[in-house]
Amino acid sequence: MSISITLSPFARFLMPFTLQRKSKNLYSTILQRYMSSKILSVSYHKESTSSPQQVELDGWKATMKSRVQEDVSPVSSNDHEDPLAATRELIEMWRLLGKEVPEHITEDELKIIMECPSKSSRKKYLKYLYVKEKLKKASKIKKEMKAAAREEFKKKLLETSEADKQQQNFLFLRLWDRNMNMAMGWKGAQAMQFGQPLVFDMAYENYMKRKELQNAVSQLLESEGWNRKDVDPFHIYFCNLKPDGAYQRELITRYGEKWDKLLITTTEKSYVDLFPKDSIIYLTADSPNVMTTFQHDKIYIVGSFVDRHMQPGTSLANAKRLKLATECLPLDKYLQWDIGTKNLTLDQMIRILLCLKNTGSWEEALKFVPRRKHAGYLEISQYSQEFINRIKKAKTFNLFSKGSLNVHTQKKCLK
Amino acid sequence: MTFCLSGVGSFTKLWKSKSVWLGPGHSYLCLFLTEFCGIRNHQRWFSLKKTCLQNTKSINLLIAKARHLKKDEDSSKHVSSGFSGLFSAGAAKKRSQMNRQNKDHELPPVKNTIQLPTKPLRSEDWDKLKEDFKGKVSFESWISSQMAHHHSSVDVAKSLLAWVASKNNGIVGYDLLVKYLYLCVFHKQTSEVIDIYEIMKARYKNLEPGAYTLLIRGLIHSDRWGEALLLLEDIKKIMIPSRKNYDDCIQGALLHQDVDIAWNLYQELLSHNLIPMLETLKAFFDFGKDIKDDHYSNKLLDILLYLRNNQLYPGESFAHSIKTWFESVPGQQWKGQFTTIQKSGQCSSCGKTIESIELSPEEYEFLTGKIMKDVIDGGDQYKKTTPWELKTFEKFVKSCPPFDIVIDGLNVAKMFPKARESQVLLELVSQLAKQNLRLLVLGRKHMLKKSSRWRKDEMEMVQKQASCFFADDISKDDPFLLYATLHSGNHCKFVTKDLMRDHKACLPDAKTQRLFFKWQQGHQLAIRNKFPGSKMIFQHILIYNTVVQTTGDSWHIPYDEDLVERYSYEVPTKWLCLHQKT
Repeated sequence: MSISITLSPFARFLMPFTLQRKSKNLYSTILQRYMSSKILSVSYHKESTSSPQQVELDGWKATMKSRVQEDVSPVSSNDHEDPLAATRELIEMWRLLGKEVPEHITEDELKIIMECPSKSSRKKYLKYLYVKEKLKKASKIKKEMKAAAREEFKKKLLETSEADKQQQNFLFLRLWDRNMNMAMGWKGAQAMQFGQPLVFDMAYENYMKRKELQNAVSQLLESEGWNRKDVDPFHIYFCNLKPDGAYQRELITRYGEKWDKLLITTTEKSYVDLFPKDSIIYLTADSPNVMTTFQHDKIYIVGSFVDRHMQPGTSLANAKRLKLATECLPLDKYLQWDIGTKNLTLDQMIRILLCLKNTGSWEEALKFVPRRKHAGYLEISQYSQEFINRIKKAKTFNLFSKGSLNVHTQKKCLK
Repeated sequence: MTFCLSGVGSFTKLWKSKSVWLGPGHSYLCLFLTEFCGIRNHQRWFSLKKTCLQNTKSINLLIAKARHLKKDEDSSKHVSSGFSGLFSAGAAKKRSQMNRQNKDHELPPVKNTIQLPTKPLRSEDWDKLKEDFKGKVSFESWISSQMAHHHSSVDVAKSLLAWVASKNNGIVGYDLLVKYLYLCVFHKQTSEVIDIYEIMKARYKNLEPGAYTLLIRGLIHSDRWGEALLLLEDIKKIMIPSRKNYDDCIQGALLHQDVDIAWNLYQELLSHNLIPMLETLKAFFDFGKDIKDDHYSNKLLDILLYLRNNQLYPGESFAHSIKTWFESVPGQQWKGQFTTIQKSGQCSSCGKTIESIELSPEEYEFLTGKIMKDVIDGGDQYKKTTPWELKTFEKFVKSCPPFDIVIDGLNVAKMFPKARESQVLLELVSQLAKQNLRLLVLGRKHMLKKSSRWRKDEMEMVQKQASCFFADDISKDDPFLLYATLHSGNHCKFVTKDLMRDHKACLPDAKTQRLFFKWQQGHQLAIRNKFPGSKMIFQHILIYNTVVQTTGDSWHIPYDEDLVERYSYEVPTKWLCLHQKT
C-alpha cells in the first residue's frame, strides 16, 4: 500500500483524497487479506500499476561464485589452527558486518580478548578499542588541520615586511609557563611544611579491576593537578601505597620522571600511624553523619577507589574497623538530587574541599558536583521549613491515640 | 504504509482522526479475540502486518488490550479461587498493576519517510529511492536493515542485491549478504540459503558467528543438514556456540531421524554448562512419540530430572508435549491431567501429597553455614555489622530458647506510612503474643530513642511481650533475622515483606540460592493488610515444594502458562499430574 514518493510535490493536493480512499481501502484490503492471506499490493502509483518487467535477479550470484576467493586478512591459511589468528579473522569479519570493532589490533590486545571470560566482556572490550581508535583518528585529523593553519599563518607573517615591525619595549620575556611552574613549586613546598594534610587512602587496590584502577589513577593525577594550582594547597599524603603494587606501578608510568619530584608524601604506612586518631575524619558517601563545616584542624581522608561494580559500604567498613569518625557531604541538604550515585570522583572531591577551605561556603563548593546529577540548589530556608513541617506533621499524628487515621481528619486538623 | 508528510501538519492529528483508524482497529480487535479464543496460529496473523509504523503501533496497542482483557479474566479467576501467594506466578505483576497510572501512549517520531518497496524494483527505481534517502549511513545497508526488520519478501531483497552488484561490478558486501541470508532463513527459502552458502564458501575462508548461526538455521531443513554440523564445528574454533546453535542442530538431527547425533549434541551442550532451551527439550519429547525404545524413554526421564535439579519449569506447550508422550508409552497406561494443588499440598486430580517444602537436615545445616559465612560475614564482618555486635548477637540467640517467630521490626513498622511506627509494631506483637508464641523482634537502636514516631511506652510494651535485639544504626538487620530464624530450627518463621533478594544474591552459587529460596517460601510470613487497625492477616505459606517430582508411578510437573508473566522469585501455580492406571 503506498502513496508513491514521486507524488511528493503534489501531495499537498492529493492528501485529502488519498486519505479518504485509503481508509476505505485499508479496511477492505485487510479483510481481503484475511480471507485469502495473499499479499496484494494496492498502489496509487501511476506507473507501477502495470506490472514491472522481470528484473534480472540471479545474475550477481554467478559473478560472486566465479570470483576467486579474496583473502580477507593477511594471515596465511597454514596457521589456521592458531587461535590468535582465528580471533583476528573473526574480528575482521565482524568489521565487514559493520559491528563496533577496531580496524587494527595489537598482539597484546588480542591476548586480552582471548582471556575475556565471557562473550559480553569480549564485546565490551572490542567496543572500547573501537571507540579509542575513532577518537585517535579524529584527533589526528584535527592536528593536521591545525598544523596546516599554522603554516598559513607563518606565511602571512613572512609576507609582512620587516620594516613594518617596530621596535617594541617589553617588560618580560615570554616564560610564563615556567614561571608558573616555579611558583607552584614554591607553594607546594610551603604546603609540605605547613599545609593541612589531606590523605588519599590507597588500600583499595584489590577491590578494583584493571580498568577501574586506571580510572582511579587518572583521577588522582587530576586531583594533584587541581591541588597544585590552588592558592593554599593541601599537603597531600598517599597512604597505604604498596611499594610494588599495581597502584604504584601505574602511577609511575603515568607520572614518569616527575614521580620522584612530586611535592606530596607517599608512604606504605597507614594514616592511623601518622596522625592522632581523634583528628581523622574519613569521608565516605555511606556515612550516617553529615558534614556541616570544614574543620581546618582535622585530617580528611578520601578513599581512592573507583567502584563500578557494586560494592557498597567498603570504605565505611574500613573506617568502622579502625574506629574512625566518618562524614559525608551534605548533598541532599543543598542540592535537589536527581540521578547518579552520590559517590563523586576524586578530583571533584578535592576541588570541593579546596573551595571549602578557602571560602567556607557550601553553595560555592558544591558547584563542582556534576550538573547532570542534580536539578538545582535547594533554598536552605526551604530545607529547614520542610524539616519543621515534618516535625509538625508527626506531632499532629501523635494527637490521635489509636486506630485508623483517615485523611479527612488530618486535613481538618492542619487547617 | 508511511506517508509523505509534506502535506500533513502532524502525525498525532492523523492518529487521532478516527475516520482513518477506527475501522481497521475494530477489525483487528475482533481478530484478536478470536485469536485468543483458541486459534493459536500467530503466523497467519502476523502475515497481515504491514510495514507501517503507525499501524504496527496500533496493533501492538490492541494486542496489549486483548492480552489485558484476557489477563483480567485470568486474574478474576485467580481472585475467585482466593489464592495468591507472595511467591506465586503473576503476583508481582498484579501488585505492580494495582498502583500504576495509565500513561498516554506516545507516538514515536517518524524518522524516515522512505517506504519499503513491496515488489522487486528495477535499477532506475533503486537509484531514485537512493536520491530520496537522507541519512548518515549508507543507503544500501540502511534499506537492507529495514527490510530485514520488516521481513520484506525475498525477491525485493534480491533485486536490491542485483542493483548493488550491477553498480559494483558484481560484488555484494558481506553485510548485505548476511541480511539477505536472514530474510531467506526467515521465509524458509532453503534453495536460496544453499546458494548463499555456496557463495560464502567461495568468497570467504571464515565467517563469523552471526552468519554461521543463520546458515545452520537455514540448512537444517534441507538435505544438506549434515553441513550444519560442520558449521557448528567452525563456530567451536572461535567461541562456545550458543544454546540456540545447539537447539538448531538438535532439531535438524531429529528432523532427519538421527537420534544419536541429537543426544550427543545435547550432552555436549550440557558439558559447556549451557542451560538448554526449553524448545530443545520439547523437541526430544515431541520426537519421542514415534519411538518405542526404553533407552530413549530413560533419556527423556533424565531430562525431567534435569528440570527438577535446576528448578526449571516447562512452558504450556512443552507441558502438553510431555503429557502426549507419557500417554503414548505403550503398555503403561499413563493418564495426564492439568490441575492445581490444594493448600493442603494434595493434588486436586489424584489426591497424592506433593513433596514438602521443608529442607532435609543436611540441606538445613548447609544453608545455615552458608548464610553465616557469606551473607553475614561475607569476608568482611565490618560491612554489615561489627565483630563484637555479632558476638553479642550469637550469645543472645544461644542464651534464649528457640523462637517461634522472628519479626523484622522496622519493616513491619513502616508498613503503613500514615500510622505511627511503634503502634503498628505493638499491634502485631501483642496479636502474636496472644497465641503464646515465643517472639523475637529485631530492630535498630534508634527505635529506642524517644521520638514522635517511636513512643517509649509502646516500645516497653513490645519488650515485655517479646525478646528484642537492637542492632547499631549503621548495621544491617536482615542478616540477623535470617540467622536467628535458621538457628531456632525448622518450625520458626519470620515476618517481613522484604523479598530478601539482595541477600540471596550474596550466596555463592545457584544451588545455594535455590535452597535459600525454598527455605524462604516455607518460612516467610508476609503481611497482607492494606490498612492499619484491623487484625493482621498473613500471606498463606506454601507447605509443598513447587518442583518437578516423581514417585515412580506418578509425575507432578509444574508449568508456566503462556499468558502469565512470572518473575524470577515466583513459582508457577499450574501443574501437570501424570499417573499410571493400575
